[in-house]
Amino acid sequence: MAEKILEIKDLCVEFNTDRGVIRAVNGVNLEVYKGKTLGVVGESGSGKSVTALSIMRLIPSPPGKIARGTIDYRGENLLEIPFDEMRRIRGNKIAMIFQEPMTSLNPVFTVGNQIEEVLELHQKELSKEQRRDKAIEMLHLVGIPSPEKRVTEYPHQLSGGMRQRVMIAMSLACEPDILIADEPTTALDVTIQAQILELMNKLQKELGMGIIMITHDLGVVAETCDDVAVMYCGQIVERAEVKELFNHPQHPYTKGLIESIPSFDSTTGERKDRLPTIEGMVPSLFDLPDGCNFQDRCNFATDKCRGSEGEPVLKSIGTHHDAACFHPLS
Amino acid sequence: MSEYLLEVNNLTKKFPIRGGIFGREVGAVYAVNDVSFKIKKGETLGLVGESGCGKTTLGRSLLRLIEPTAGEVFFNGVDITKLDADGMREMRRKMQIIFQDPYASLNPRMTVGGILAEPMEIHGLFKDKEERRKRLLQLLDQVQLPADALNKYPHEFSGGQRQRICIARALAVEPEFIVCDEPVSALDVSVQAQVVNLMMDLQKDLGLTFLFIAHDLKVVEYISNRVAVMYLGNMVEVAESHELYGGARHPYTKALFSAIPNPNPNVTHDRIILEGDIPSPMNPPDGCHFHPRCWNATDECRGSYPPVTEESSTHAYRCYNPNQLS
Repeated sequence: MAEKILEIKDLCVEFNTDRGVIRAVNGVNLEVYKGKTLGVVGESGSGKSVTALSIMRLIPSPPGKIARGTIDYRGENLLEIPFDEMRRIRGNKIAMIFQEPMTSLNPVFTVGNQIEEVLELHQKELSKEQRRDKAIEMLHLVGIPSPEKRVTEYPHQLSGGMRQRVMIAMSLACEPDILIADEPTTALDVTIQAQILELMNKLQKELGMGIIMITHDLGVVAETCDDVAVMYCGQIVERAEVKELFNHPQHPYTKGLIESIPSFDSTTGERKDRLPTIEGMVPSLFDLPDGCNFQDRCNFATDKCRGSEGEPVLKSIGTHHDAACFHPLS
Repeated sequence: MSEYLLEVNNLTKKFPIRGGIFGREVGAVYAVNDVSFKIKKGETLGLVGESGCGKTTLGRSLLRLIEPTAGEVFFNGVDITKLDADGMREMRRKMQIIFQDPYASLNPRMTVGGILAEPMEIHGLFKDKEERRKRLLQLLDQVQLPADALNKYPHEFSGGQRQRICIARALAVEPEFIVCDEPVSALDVSVQAQVVNLMMDLQKDLGLTFLFIAHDLKVVEYISNRVAVMYLGNMVEVAESHELYGGARHPYTKALFSAIPNPNPNVTHDRIILEGDIPSPMNPPDGCHFHPRCWNATDECRGSYPPVTEESSTHAYRCYNPNQLS
């Protein structure tokens, strides 16, 4: 068993809005292991990104507030350590890649400057020349051609894929323990996405970091993750090892998600009839039903799901397989 | 009357690049370069390619929302590139478009009823209030929205519902042909499937013809009868959708389809990882535009752009060294 480096327990994040308090993340438990990739899947508004930002303590406050829970990183609760201490961890031990490579780089600094800034903050013993060398080495590592030249270029001179590589180079400059990738390939074309995912896999093997891969694309999950957590309305509804999850989904929502992806098994040329869908839509966080949040879209919902016995909680239904459902599928 | 609803010959759209203090033309981007294809009545032609390959420009120049530089577009036998403004307005009743972003393509100050009625007003499709109301309710029913949506504003709807409103607006004038420009890309997976199903049902019921533009290859393969692949303004391959995944002849098509992450962790497939990025369309490589990234490239590819090879009536490609089919 790999070493556990991060453990999130009972995390609740609330936001104050004009219409009242909403709970964007509600009782989330997650574990990250060294050298492994944890996938967090869900639709927009399910709380994936808020979970990630909480780990980095980047939740804007106000309006956001971490109401409850602990985030243990190697024996320290990240939510309680002083701000200065957090600064030493952020970007150094735990790094993050954001979705939009177009907007997450500073347009008025060269990419070299931006990678060197990370080193300047966290590896103060390095000289200016050493930092430049390290920046070039990082650009080389992420597969940017002629890094000596690129290091003096500005973000607008690079393509989307290149910028995302720079983001990865920046986040890996201090060889972090944990890399949080928030939809790292969503804004990229498929051929570039394949390059970036391949690169992340390769770097994980070399550097042995744990990765949290946040995505809505089940294809990306199937190809890159070891374990998967499925989120819905701020809660984890199912959690399992990747093959187990795809082969034996237990929560009706997970099953619906997997089935609603068009697949490529057509060789006959006949037009398939209809895609299986999940009816209805995600309920508003302002107006969550009693009981299971998925009840209105579920074919198996009973009175139990509608609140007669409270909310379903995540419980074990097999080896390393948990689901929050009163009527798991098999 | 031919079996083809739409016939496009050598369509080209050139955007000039201006520079210098006098704004002289210093170069040109061929966003769409010498593209020819046909779409049958009731068929869906998928159009895929990476960002910047000219998919959207092609879709819009078919409706002359972008004026093509050269080429012909025959719709029902009429060359629409030669029509004057009045003729074109008449023609647009038969040709509609659905845009990618349902958040940006609905006027936030108009009610849904107003949005849906506007195209019908322009074309004079109803006589009185009663008829207008009847038609609006029918439209909402077609896209499975409740009747009380008529008096609501776009912000009261979710992304999936807004896209239904956009679809209803396109259907309002009873068109024969709809350009769907990335209609489901902005939607969540579970909602995406609902909208794809809706579009397929509407096509069946109303006998519509679609040009379905998307970068999500799985959705395109699912909804289309045939799929066309574009690279840097050129159409590099057209084939029946079921042929493309296994039977692609152009190396780019093969690479594109192998790059899709497979949502099945039980199988591992050989992936072709393309080196490098798409070259700048301002300065495309000589010869075949794909040769710097192609593993089959020879001197011939560097010399001139490959001509169209028609393998069958439904499958054509532009490549000197196509993949051998096993």
